[in-house]
Amino acid sequence: MHYSVHHVTRFRYSAPIRESLVETRLRPQADELQRLNGFHLTTHPRAQLFTYADDFGNTVYHFDIPGEHQELTIDASSKVDVDRPPTLPEALAPDAWEALRSDATKAQHFELLCPSTIAKDGEALEAFLKETGLEPHACPLATVRDLNETLYRSFTYESGTTRVDSPIEVAIASRKGVCQDFAHVMIAILRDWGIPARYVSGYVCHRPDAILDRSAPDQSHAWVEAFLPGIGWVGFDPTNDCLAEERHIRIAYGRDYADAPPTRGVFKGDAQSELAVAVTVTPSEAPRLATPFLRVLSAAKVAEAASPVTARLRSQSAQQQQQ
Amino acid sequence: MSESKRASEDGDPSKAGAESNVEPFPARSGPWAEGLFARYSFGRAVDEMFERPGVPLPHASALYARLAELSSDELARRQAQVEHAFLTQGITFTVYGEGQETERIFPTDLVPRLITAADWDRLERGLTQRIAALNLFLGDIYGEGKVLRDGIVPADLILGSKNYLRAMRGLKVPHGTYVSICGSDLVRCEDGNFAVLEDNLRVPSGVSYMLANRAVVKRAFPNIFRELNVRPIDHYGRALLATLRAMAPPRAERPRIALLTPGVFNSAYFEHAFLARQMGIELVEGRDLAVHDNVLYMRTTSGLARVDVIYRRIDDDFIDPLRFRRDSMLGVPGIVNAYRAGNVTIANALGTGVADDKAVYAFVPALIKYYLGEEAIIPNVETYLCRRPAERDYVLANLDKLVVKAVGESGGYGMLVGPHATKAQREEFHARVSAHPDSYIAQPTLALSTAPCFVEDGIEPRHVDLRPFILTGRETVIVPGGLTRVALRRGSLVVNSSQGGGSKDTWVLGT
Repeated sequence: MHYSVHHVTRFRYSAPIRESLVETRLRPQADELQRLNGFHLTTHPRAQLFTYADDFGNTVYHFDIPGEHQELTIDASSKVDVDRPPTLPEALAPDAWEALRSDATKAQHFELLCPSTIAKDGEALEAFLKETGLEPHACPLATVRDLNETLYRSFTYESGTTRVDSPIEVAIASRKGVCQDFAHVMIAILRDWGIPARYVSGYVCHRPDAILDRSAPDQSHAWVEAFLPGIGWVGFDPTNDCLAEERHIRIAYGRDYADAPPTRGVFKGDAQSELAVAVTVTPSEAPRLATPFLRVLSAAKVAEAASPVTARLRSQSAQQQQQ
Repeated sequence: MSESKRASEDGDPSKAGAESNVEPFPARSGPWAEGLFARYSFGRAVDEMFERPGVPLPHASALYARLAELSSDELARRQAQVEHAFLTQGITFTVYGEGQETERIFPTDLVPRLITAADWDRLERGLTQRIAALNLFLGDIYGEGKVLRDGIVPADLILGSKNYLRAMRGLKVPHGTYVSICGSDLVRCEDGNFAVLEDNLRVPSGVSYMLANRAVVKRAFPNIFRELNVRPIDHYGRALLATLRAMAPPRAERPRIALLTPGVFNSAYFEHAFLARQMGIELVEGRDLAVHDNVLYMRTTSGLARVDVIYRRIDDDFIDPLRFRRDSMLGVPGIVNAYRAGNVTIANALGTGVADDKAVYAFVPALIKYYLGEEAIIPNVETYLCRRPAERDYVLANLDKLVVKAVGESGGYGMLVGPHATKAQREEFHARVSAHPDSYIAQPTLALSTAPCFVEDGIEPRHVDLRPFILTGRETVIVPGGLTRVALRRGSLVVNSSQGGGSKDTWVLGT
């Protein structure tokens, strides 16, 4: 599937502020299942952009605005091509749990098996597990599927009850929350069961039948990837009770939200800030190249130009002495 | 005032014997029996001045002879001068306790501690070797991670440490030097050899006391100081500056260096100001700095000035609110990005604390072997890792003999000195170690060597350690000396300044 994504973030301040420094994780991942055909980031006020790859391989764009300003807009647009991942098997190999418990898995995914600041186990989580009767199945894949569905059923989608970085206890207590909360609860449980799990921030293109998707269509989204032996990372979306396949556009990974926020910034000044976000994800045609206005600048004929080169290649190859 | 203070720190001498492991030496005769040294006692610890009662070690005989000539009143006068010099210079430190903070003078003992040229040579080689291995280790765990894959150090010990900073992964530091300034704590054990007790790789402090002690103590003993051919240490500031210059990004031809202090409320602010003045560099707080377009600047009266090297004296967590603690008021937003881009060097590097963890300490001899293919020149103190079940059981069964330390703590906090602890304290640690074995290590109670100290009206032995300061830029330099810390309470083994310790001038003798 081809998508155009437009993500606008606007900060407004109650009084003029200065020395804003902002890091953004807005550039979609580029990998074998997700091709990035274009990414463009602009800021207002204008700023010099810098970039680096963080320790999860996320591409971070960062900038600063030294002068006084009362509003800051970050405009990111991407063109992304998402392939459908291979269909999952019915079940994993019988030794999948052993593979997860192996030293090799533990060493490779150490930090994604440890509780993190937001996604950590505790009494509330244990009580939740007991109440819902959730427990690992004979197959890790069935385990994650069941967990994904149970979380979908157990929580009501309601914004405003939690913050992006609320500890999972808040959502568990009220059984309400948004995508970050469900992702954090799922991550904490998976790690508790010994399945490496990571947080994914990104976008989801909503199904035409909107009733099926609970997540807000005009915001960024968050879900979970679980590491399954023999397959690798598999995306699960407990907010929408589905797998993260070609409708999900991945931007950043992390142990939890704190590693992968779309924007993170600091500023100097005594002011309240207001954050406004608009996201549109539009399925689009395959990208086309615009050709009509091309002006030919050099007139060498391709077919003729090729032949001397071929001749030279042949003659040079022939000269090479073989001992 | 200083007299009464000194007396109270010594505690009640009549009771001190009970908690002391220093046995009084019975046989006394001749001049040794009277005068200053009348109460000098010997236990199982090695003494820094005496071979046996009344017989000084060859290198200490001149100093002993000089001391023996002086009256108790004369020594008291010189001690008072020393203390006055510290008070007028404002050389104080802050003790943090439960809810209260106290400002104190750092008590300095008049009598210098001597180190022979041969001992120093070995220490210099051993510390140079150790810091080389530790820097390679840090480069490895923030780079390829070979040492973890090869199973030399358990991966969870490093990756699970709260001091392991993911932000440092893949970040290149000049010359592979993570630790430009190291303060290693050494002790002389019963066999007379030095051992490393702890490495301080984050923001080691105390070097200003080393320099201040020298300045005042050499005035108290001017003749003997000259006579003994004591190696100078006053070039420390220049050596530190040269080290920091060597750490500058290659782009900077005449690097601007600044010392980043948390400010006047910090216990070591005196030292920050002192070192900045010694080096002729700017002393700055976070609010004096700003990052613009990924470059670090200092605000000056004539505009922004680019800064190339930061000698930071603040914790990792606080250095960049954009990357770490958002509530930090001490740091500089964006400095980590400027650092990653190679536009500024932070010394010591961030994330070095993972290697001076008390549990990682136990692996340092193995790291020296692994990276350098050499045996450690200075050994470690035997260490039991409570994360290993067998060693934990041994520790729990021998709490009355061992010193137990919390892995993540420093400065003598969270520590149990078994033989001196009450039953209740031992029970508390039994519960703590059982509940969180990973967080504790234990070591045998060491008979730290003793050195003569002037107390009240005589000279008595007190336990001492030694903290030399190891500077590494492109290469390693160690100024011949260090801070000798003294456990001023009779029989006490805890030398940390925060726990009632004092210090001595340390004289490394020339050949």
